[in-house]
Amino acid sequence: MIEALFFYLFAGIMLASGLMVVVSRNPVYSVLFLILAFFNAAGLFVLIGAEFLAMLLVVVYVGAVAVLFLFVVMMLDINFSEMRAGFQKYLPLGLIVGGILVFELVAAMYGDVFKGATLPEAMDISNTRALGNVIYTKYMYLFQVAGLILLVAMIGAISLTMRKREGVRRQSVAAQNLRSRAETVEVVSVPSGSSPENLSTAAVKSTKTTSRNGGNT
Amino acid sequence: MAFQMTDIIPALPEIFLAGLALVLVLVAAFGGEEAGNARRVTRLSLVGIAIAVFLLVQGDAMPSLAFGGMFAADSFAFYMKALVLVGTFAALLLSLRPEGNDDINKPEFALLVMLALVGMMLMISADDLLALYMGIELQSLPLYVVAAMRTNSLRSSEAGLKYFLLGALSSGMLLYGASLVYGICGTTDFAGIAASLSSGDLPVAFIVGMVFMVSGLAFKVSAAPFHMWTPDVYEGSPTPVTTLFAIAPKVAAMALLMRLTYGAFGQIADQWSQVLVALSIASMAVGALGAIMQTDIKRMMAYSSIAHMGYALAGLAAGTPAGAAGVMIYMTGYVFMGAGTFAIILLMRRDGQAATKIVDLKGLSRTHPLLAIGLLVMMFSMAGIPPLAGFFGKWYVFLAAVQAGLVPLAVIGVVMSVVGAFYYLRIIRLMYFEDTDAPLDAEIPAVNKLVLGVSMAVILLFFAGLGGVLTATDTAAIALMGGAR
Amino acid sequence: MIDLLTHSYVVNVAWILAQILMVIGPLLIAVAYLTLAERRVIGFMQLRKGPNVVGPFGLFQPFADALKLMAKETILPAGANKVVFLFAPMLTFILAIVAWAVIPFGEGLVIADINVGILYLFAISSLGVYGVIMAGWASNSKYAFLGALRSAAQMVSYEVSMGLVIINVLLCVGSLNLSAIVEAQRDMWFALPLLPMFVVFFISTLAETNRAPFDLPEGESELVAGYFVEYSSMSFALFFLGEYANMILMSSMTVVLFMGGWLPPFDIFPLNVIPGPIWFILKIMLVLFVFLWVRATTPRYRYDQLMRLGWKIFLPFSLLYVVATAGFLLATDRLPTIMAG
Repeated sequence: MIEALFFYLFAGIMLASGLMVVVSRNPVYSVLFLILAFFNAAGLFVLIGAEFLAMLLVVVYVGAVAVLFLFVVMMLDINFSEMRAGFQKYLPLGLIVGGILVFELVAAMYGDVFKGATLPEAMDISNTRALGNVIYTKYMYLFQVAGLILLVAMIGAISLTMRKREGVRRQSVAAQNLRSRAETVEVVSVPSGSSPENLSTAAVKSTKTTSRNGGNT
Repeated sequence: MAFQMTDIIPALPEIFLAGLALVLVLVAAFGGEEAGNARRVTRLSLVGIAIAVFLLVQGDAMPSLAFGGMFAADSFAFYMKALVLVGTFAALLLSLRPEGNDDINKPEFALLVMLALVGMMLMISADDLLALYMGIELQSLPLYVVAAMRTNSLRSSEAGLKYFLLGALSSGMLLYGASLVYGICGTTDFAGIAASLSSGDLPVAFIVGMVFMVSGLAFKVSAAPFHMWTPDVYEGSPTPVTTLFAIAPKVAAMALLMRLTYGAFGQIADQWSQVLVALSIASMAVGALGAIMQTDIKRMMAYSSIAHMGYALAGLAAGTPAGAAGVMIYMTGYVFMGAGTFAIILLMRRDGQAATKIVDLKGLSRTHPLLAIGLLVMMFSMAGIPPLAGFFGKWYVFLAAVQAGLVPLAVIGVVMSVVGAFYYLRIIRLMYFEDTDAPLDAEIPAVNKLVLGVSMAVILLFFAGLGGVLTATDTAAIALMGGAR
Repeated sequence: MIDLLTHSYVVNVAWILAQILMVIGPLLIAVAYLTLAERRVIGFMQLRKGPNVVGPFGLFQPFADALKLMAKETILPAGANKVVFLFAPMLTFILAIVAWAVIPFGEGLVIADINVGILYLFAISSLGVYGVIMAGWASNSKYAFLGALRSAAQMVSYEVSMGLVIINVLLCVGSLNLSAIVEAQRDMWFALPLLPMFVVFFISTLAETNRAPFDLPEGESELVAGYFVEYSSMSFALFFLGEYANMILMSSMTVVLFMGGWLPPFDIFPLNVIPGPIWFILKIMLVLFVFLWVRATTPRYRYDQLMRLGWKIFLPFSLLYVVATAGFLLATDRLPTIMAG
């Protein structure tokens, strides 16, 4: 009974927040509702005994992906009226896609079309271990290929966006740590009443070059 | 089930290339000065591909399945992988110009091509819906990136974005179809799917899933009506990237389509054959008619490749071992024609600037007689003039179609070849019967000579080695049709 | 039957509530005295006295501060998004509290002894960033927003290496259950074999809680007070409480992962008669002292240095250490047998 209660609680909030993601006027609210939806999905995972997936959903989607969403939405200057205009235009298409998916769900639940795909037998091991068996043993090959795909995504993102600019001064911590006191500091006696401009130019220049050699290149 | 030597041996070339790619990441990151490092990475990649070819040839000839049946290493995979390796080798070689090509002068280019190459090889060996999808993604993602590699060019960015969006759409279609197929068959394994199809009647949902999967793959081979991205991507991408697009990925995608239709859906050839016939006719028509209007040679090559895919699909639609062998022969010719043609297109520069209009070829026979002869051979071969390689490809493909009772398809194919011959001959007319006052740059780098020479030799002497090719493709076709199982 | 059922439910719920109160009450008092300890310790380190007037040794100072905060007016900035503005401090405080559900204070002394306890802790601590970023955005103020952005980027960055450090520990334990992690340290604390990871983890917790020397999200010299610059009164107090409760939480996480939780340092006579919870609290206090010590003695990092440390040093290093740990365990055949459940 308690389970059923919590199921309807989580499911209800999830559906409501899912709706709010689409209809709320402020995109920041949309993302916040999305986070709420993720949370309730995690709750549903806990109810079916998939606690590992629940935690992963929170760590990965709420803790990392949604943060990025929120960042982008908060920083971008989004024109709300334009987004509204698109809503009307795409509504029929969205309804059609949604309708197809609903039809599929119904077919999967009540029809016998998808009789081939059966749920695997519940095993008597924790779901952390079960997932480990599947990912790292049975589908090890796919796991490795997925790793390569992620590597490609990383290289691609970097090589498409990184611009090498001229004249950027970068700190080289190693060089800074390696230099000795003698290379960096020079004691110059300044006669009273004279300003630094009056010092011998050689002394000023030498301090400048050493400080540049000292890492800020 | 865990990691074993029996899994590693069949996939040794792929594992080697993937490992090399990881090393190249480090070389690319810490290799120092950019232009020199880019050349270094490309050279290392070329060496790596050569070693991979060696490993492939050395590898156990016995057909075997690895990684729980997800990876098939049979003679079909061997043949297609050899083609892809050779094609990628040629494309990378052509990108290695002595003066350095400013477009893609980044170490990441060769690195991404290597990763795409691993993806292509995994596609060819895919024997499971999951492996199929992972292979496709590993192949596609690097290609999206290299298409947009010229970051300060709007056209290149457009090409990359277009390729990415349509590619993502096609991946979505493929996945949707795969999910339906899995739902009905209850397995992602190709052999398992084939087994579950041999009993009982087919639900409509399965046909829907199958059509979605074939459509998704049709995107990847750029068969009409899923060809929209091809001309823009070919034109917008840096030319060395277009070279790669024109040579290797379509071979891999075609191999995957063959393995899916002949392997997993082999029992229901009558079902997918209709889809392929439609795709084939549309591609031949779009390719032949679309190319006529083009003024840019890269766009023209895009339409030409659409037409080529149409001819290849005609062999696939036959659904017989002869058809499969015909497609393999066709793709063999396609790789060398592409490599040879692009070895010349890459040289179309005037005062160091790329000049890729078709009219820029005017009077090539006066200024560069050697190149003109090369392009003449390539164009004749593409048009299907005997006794060149392109002719044999078309011959075996249409022969298989006729034998399978698809006479109208073969007739349309021949008609479209005649139409297509028009624009190939137009280039020859421009080269030989017109004059120019603005000649192209005179310098011809050695790599272009090498690639062009090898391609010409293969295409001209194809008839001499035809017996060997036929034996290899027949064996491969039998392996594909279930000999390995 | 139904009576019995409802009865047992009521008893269960009441027992859980009692347990929660038993944790939250002392926690809030601990937070109060942590603020006092911070001021006194730093005071002594800087040869000052610190607050010593209210009550003996200034012991009533936290309560005086709390009364002062409560008596103040809650100011809502005119341009603020009121709902989010008020929700953010509550979220911070709630998250700092709920994480305590899985912390084992002694053998069996834990509210919820769940299988994936460490993941739960990690998940909750990764949510802390929302309180910060919502506060910064809702305040509709440039200082607050800049502070929030810095802080969010910082917390997300250091979480990555924290996750890898946790994997190191999990490799040695073979379970994600916090009690099992503590039990696995009966012979040797993980702080010894995983010493570099212990250091990385501690520094990451400093960054994760926005403490010195990584407190630049609230760097007073540039950003006034960072994301909570617009807050006052109780809403400010909630942030304050949440932040200090988070410090204690992170310390207890360090203790559980690396310092043997409730176990005595050596299983010998005078030490093993002291009850587990006392050891646990003593160890937490030790870690907290280091938190304060660091604050008193180190200058603030620059933002690019902070990011460099997180992404270019800690991340590769901890990743390498995961490989090394796994390789060592595999080579010496010391991989833990995976416990049931």
